[in-house]
Amino acid sequence: METLMVDSVQNSLRLFMHRNAIFFCERLCAEFPTEVRFELSHFSHYVTGSLATVIVVFAAFWTSMPHSRYLFAMSCFQMNLLQEAEATLCPANEPNAEACFHFILPSYQDEIHFRVVYIVFRICSFQHSLESQYDYILLKLKAFTLPSSLQVPDGAAGHYLLGLIYRYIGRRGVAIEHLMQALAIDPLLWAAYDELCVLGAVEDANEYFSDMAAQHIQKQYLSESNSLNSSNGSEFNNGSSNMSVTFVDSIPRQSKQLLANNAREISSIPPSSAIAKVPASNSGTSNFSQFITPPAATQLSGVAPPPLCRNVHVSFNVANNDIATKSNNIAVQTPRRKLLDEGKLRKVSGRLFSDSVPRRSTRLSAEAIAVASSNATQITSNGNSHTSAKFLGGFSSSSSSSSKVNAASSRSLTFKKGHSWISESFDEGRRSEDFDDSRMENMATTSSYTSMSGDVRYLEQGKTIGDLAQDSRLISGAQELLCLLRTLGEGYWLSCSYRCQEALEVYLKLSEKQFNTGWVLSQVGRLHFELVDYYEADHFFSLARRVSPFILEGMDMYSTALYHMKEEMKLSYLAQELISVDRLSPQAWCALGNCYSMQKDYETALKIFQRAVQLDSRFVYAHTLCGHEYIALEDFENGIKCYQSALQIDQRHYNSWYGLGVVYLRQEKFEFAEHHLRKAYNINPQSSVLMCYLGMAQHALQRNEDALEMLERAIAADKQNPLPVYQKANILSLDRFDEALNVLEQLKESAPHESCVYALMGKIYKRLEVHEKAMFYFGLALDLKPPAADVATIKAAMEKLYLPDEMDDIL
Amino acid sequence: MSRVWTRDRRVVTAGGRQAAMATELDGEEETAAAAGKLTGSPQLSVEDDLREMAKNAAWSVSSYKPGNNVLSLRDDNLDTYWQSDGAQPHLVNIQFQKKVKLQLVILYVDFKLDESYTPSKISIRAGDGFHNLKEIKTVELMKPVGWVHISLSGNDPRETFINTFMLQVAILSNHLNGRDTHIRQIKIYGPRPNPVPLQPFHFTSQEFISYSTIR
Repeated sequence: METLMVDSVQNSLRLFMHRNAIFFCERLCAEFPTEVRFELSHFSHYVTGSLATVIVVFAAFWTSMPHSRYLFAMSCFQMNLLQEAEATLCPANEPNAEACFHFILPSYQDEIHFRVVYIVFRICSFQHSLESQYDYILLKLKAFTLPSSLQVPDGAAGHYLLGLIYRYIGRRGVAIEHLMQALAIDPLLWAAYDELCVLGAVEDANEYFSDMAAQHIQKQYLSESNSLNSSNGSEFNNGSSNMSVTFVDSIPRQSKQLLANNAREISSIPPSSAIAKVPASNSGTSNFSQFITPPAATQLSGVAPPPLCRNVHVSFNVANNDIATKSNNIAVQTPRRKLLDEGKLRKVSGRLFSDSVPRRSTRLSAEAIAVASSNATQITSNGNSHTSAKFLGGFSSSSSSSSKVNAASSRSLTFKKGHSWISESFDEGRRSEDFDDSRMENMATTSSYTSMSGDVRYLEQGKTIGDLAQDSRLISGAQELLCLLRTLGEGYWLSCSYRCQEALEVYLKLSEKQFNTGWVLSQVGRLHFELVDYYEADHFFSLARRVSPFILEGMDMYSTALYHMKEEMKLSYLAQELISVDRLSPQAWCALGNCYSMQKDYETALKIFQRAVQLDSRFVYAHTLCGHEYIALEDFENGIKCYQSALQIDQRHYNSWYGLGVVYLRQEKFEFAEHHLRKAYNINPQSSVLMCYLGMAQHALQRNEDALEMLERAIAADKQNPLPVYQKANILSLDRFDEALNVLEQLKESAPHESCVYALMGKIYKRLEVHEKAMFYFGLALDLKPPAADVATIKAAMEKLYLPDEMDDIL
Repeated sequence: MSRVWTRDRRVVTAGGRQAAMATELDGEEETAAAAGKLTGSPQLSVEDDLREMAKNAAWSVSSYKPGNNVLSLRDDNLDTYWQSDGAQPHLVNIQFQKKVKLQLVILYVDFKLDESYTPSKISIRAGDGFHNLKEIKTVELMKPVGWVHISLSGNDPRETFINTFMLQVAILSNHLNGRDTHIRQIKIYGPRPNPVPLQPFHFTSQEFISYSTIR
């Protein structure tokens, strides 16, 4: 009955029948009030997104279960209760979450939690596209139920999450440290790289995706494939009973289970003790390898025991490696036999895969390559067997499918997927278009890593024992992938440091296939946007939308570009579309708010931007836009608050610094203004608009020389921008009339419909007492229909022109 | 229906007469605008380069009937009204936090509903405070229904706006010699500030505007 119910819950979840799942969860909880069940119910609640329910359920069954705690922390994190999240992650006797992470990491029981928490987190952040959300749910569930996921290696995800928490708490330094560690463990964790870029902590893009990283990936994959194999081995033994094992929380029990189930690779040493015995020399291992290689650990245990937290970061130790692989190879043997039978199950497995595999992005498969290749190298380095990487990969996936058939739920493959998904989830969210491409291939190729390197291998092929040539090809695949990542990484880094032109060049180096993806196109659009080239930005953003109609990334920028271009129709269309794509995304509401703001309905716009903030309080741009609206409504106090909260989230959000600068300019606190504008300028030193404003602030501070110099720089930075030229003329018009007139004459040519130019010329001529010309230019300025205020000033100037001295001149 | 129509016509003709009188009195073109004011317009339409200014101002009235206090003037609800309760003139005082540029006062009155409570002669005064208010405009209304626009601009282009700390709307007399008055809404408009600070002029061309701000 229990199993049936669990099955039913899981089936329901797989089929997205959440209500059914919740219903059965409740029955299950009532019938078998074990912690395990509560976990499950937790999950289905989380799936339906009722965070509050999670909390209630949790509060009712608060135990020391790390699972629940992570989930709870996650909920807190999502609801922005960062302190609670940290506190939850920390046991009472631990000073902070960090320590807790380290405390928990070593026990592999908890590794899973990282994964789960991590995945849940990603789900939350990528709620945008419903489809992918379901994938995540699936993955998450599988990761949760899979015993093989116990053996998930890296602490990268954990570090990444911790990095995020610290970032939002505002401890930038610690956050960077953790993100760096995450990236060191898993070079393919683009999300961490992304965060680092946003934090402005990247010095050189290349170092993160260097050949070192390639080696690291190989090593990592080596350990991973080990675990896959071994887990598969145990999988076959365990059958459906595994599931309950996973849920078991207490380590002793876990180890007992392992003892019972696991004939081969994992020794009888309880994981915790294994870890304790891992020697210092072994500290480089990822967690996973640790528990995979308990024999190794025991053998080396003569050495001083390492601190618990150590296991995560450093690279694999070779000695350990060998031992690990020995045990691993034993593990491989049996499954292989199994595999032969597997062929019969191909159809079934194919079907099974079809529900999960297609969701992998190409990048995922790229990850798999790397994994595969490292696996290959591991084996060759041992010299023990020449089992090809493909064999292993194919094996692992096929075995998982078989286990799906055999057991109640599938394990190993999903684990692997879960893992690779984690590292790539970031992109997955953005590159939904990749799904389409990869779907077809992946359907056929259960071992998807091959699809990336260009030769599509089918499972059958994968089963054949390969040779060294294949291995090296896979290695080169990893390098290829890293090369791609390097390009993307460099581009992204440059664009985050607002070296837009360079970034554009880097992106142009991408292959056409890669370039024509939603993410890259929207990045390019963003770069043009930063360069104040709104037409090009429009072009690329609309391309991005054409390539992937559901893209949300960067659409806030797009709407702002349209706002600047006063493209009312396009903007409202965009807003409509975005709202229909996902009405819970802040980007959609930002676009809508921009619509209203363009119609000068600032109050409605403000409300809408506030809604965007409510939807995602970590969405920086919404805060800034709120600030802009407050300023438009002349509520400087609240405007400043908004800008400051934006800066609290992201110090490098120059728009807010600019906003503050403008507020202070308006309030005539010029020194403050200069300071804030300079901050903005330092972040985005290539923006001619910022330079222009900085020049204006300096002019206001009577530092005309500095101002002129800054404006010259602005003119040089962007020849299209007429504003610095005008400002220059404005400054010159104070005493150097001829120069000013020269500048304005040129400006008149480039912007013939600007009344300001004529008005300023009129003003200068008036000062020069060339009345006719002054009159002429004032007239021109008036013809261009400036607003009433200007009409008043100009008319006043015109009247004053004749009234005081030479009335007869005019008459 | 027909009665309404004739009444409206009467209003128009009366307005015309009134305008003629006003021309004699004040002698300038502003009375042409005054002719428009008399009936009021059903829609509140304001030029794009103006915006409501008095949201953060301090509003007070010389007297009010309980339940019809000053808040009714600003609640964006045309069904509620401020009703005075005392001797004429009835005053609405609007004090701003800083010196502001103002161009337009718009009030909503409804002769059909309020009859003898409808103001007929309104004076607008401005100054730094109560001590030095100066009358800047006097207008007469004739059976108005809807939004009545009262421009504060003078004839001289330099007097397009008034620059003031305080505005006072004084109801000097009502229709049919009514004593107390009803006003349903008052709005005060001034020019929008330049989106780019410290500039003598607004930008008008797309080239300039798209470069003039960051968002």
